[in-house]
Amino acid sequence: MEVAAAKLIGAGLAMIGAIGAGLGIGVLAGGAVQGIARNPDAAGQIQTNMILGIAFAEAVAIYCLVVALLLIFAV
Amino acid sequence: MDTTTPHDTPQKSGNAGCFTMLGIFVLLVIGAIVLWPKKIPVHLPATKLMDEPLFVLFPNLPPDLGAVYLTNTFVATVIAYVLILIGAFVVGRRVRQALANEEYVLGGFSGAMVMLLEGIYNMTEATAGKWARTIFPYFATIMMLVLVVNWMELLPGVETIGLLTPVTEEVHYGYEIEPLAGGVYALASDPIKIHHGEEKAGGHGEANAHGTDEGQHALYDFRPLVRVSSTDLNFTLALALVSVVMTQVIGFRALGLGYLTKFFNFKALFTKPGMGLLDFVVGLLELISEFSKILSFSFRLFGNIFAGSVLLFVMGALAPFILPGFYGLELFVGLIQAFVFGMLTMVFMAQATHSHSDH
Repeated sequence: MEVAAAKLIGAGLAMIGAIGAGLGIGVLAGGAVQGIARNPDAAGQIQTNMILGIAFAEAVAIYCLVVALLLIFAV
Repeated sequence: MDTTTPHDTPQKSGNAGCFTMLGIFVLLVIGAIVLWPKKIPVHLPATKLMDEPLFVLFPNLPPDLGAVYLTNTFVATVIAYVLILIGAFVVGRRVRQALANEEYVLGGFSGAMVMLLEGIYNMTEATAGKWARTIFPYFATIMMLVLVVNWMELLPGVETIGLLTPVTEEVHYGYEIEPLAGGVYALASDPIKIHHGEEKAGGHGEANAHGTDEGQHALYDFRPLVRVSSTDLNFTLALALVSVVMTQVIGFRALGLGYLTKFFNFKALFTKPGMGLLDFVVGLLELISEFSKILSFSFRLFGNIFAGSVLLFVMGALAPFILPGFYGLELFVGLIQAFVFGMLTMVFMAQATHSHSDH
């Protein structure tokens, strides 16, 4: 197999890691919505903490994206 | 139900907003018909605008490390600085005027800025307590800078207006050009791959190393004048370094040399047998996680905004009519990433001021 083909296949495979981020963000948002349902007055604080948690979870998907981009553009 | 009518009915501004949106959409459709966008090859590193460096810091190192070049992301950063300074003067003057006239509720752009900064300050005070005055400038500055820089990728002209130079040895893609008016040219073809050192008979515009072929047009290399700063890993890495280093500085300021016992937890090792070893190892892991914070900050911002700009390019080349939807996505992502960068900086700084016994 040529190197160019292997690079592109590898970039596609690297993005499989984004499944974890999708699951994690879904669980997080579900927990936040339940928290708001129990205590609507704390909605602002819950939302802030949810955004913080989502940023951490999404960063892992971004690491996968960076590996994919490195494979396409820089190797 | 609210039956009171406000003093100035906002009907006029509401209609103006609707017509602006409609006008933008019509312009988009007309522009797509007249000049269907071409694909732009995406460069990961920022492109240099001039081949000679601005100044050389360390002559002994190779040129990429020792010299400072004028790149297109640097132009965008300078434009962002100018915009922020102008905004700061305008809002500051308005706020001082409002304080002198005793009006406590502002409207318009100044009111929005005051609301935003007050919200950020309340958040900082809730997390950091008495260190809020020290931590707030970092949060607000990083957030405003990254916000302006991220939203600059939505302006027309960014990454599309640039310089055309004839193809040289290191370039892999070239464009054919057609003249529009005066010295202004438009790209006339999708990017054409250049094979150096290969001669192919009768290709689709494949060129030899000099960038021309018999019967084909000369190929040019396109360098955008302004490029979104967050797509340059140097910018995000610099911000991440500032953030993490200042976190350590604030930690030392708050706890003195006791800040080091967070990482090298010898007290737990000697006082509590068994579990003390675990606390010691956790402290060492926290040291490693400080370094991973640098990587995580820089790659989070870089990955989000770079992927967003590639998305805008690809959607613009494939289907310009549905671009407003992706613009909305990019607006949202830019705002969230700026907010998250600032807020994580603030949270880590606030955690650095809490001593270990507070856990």
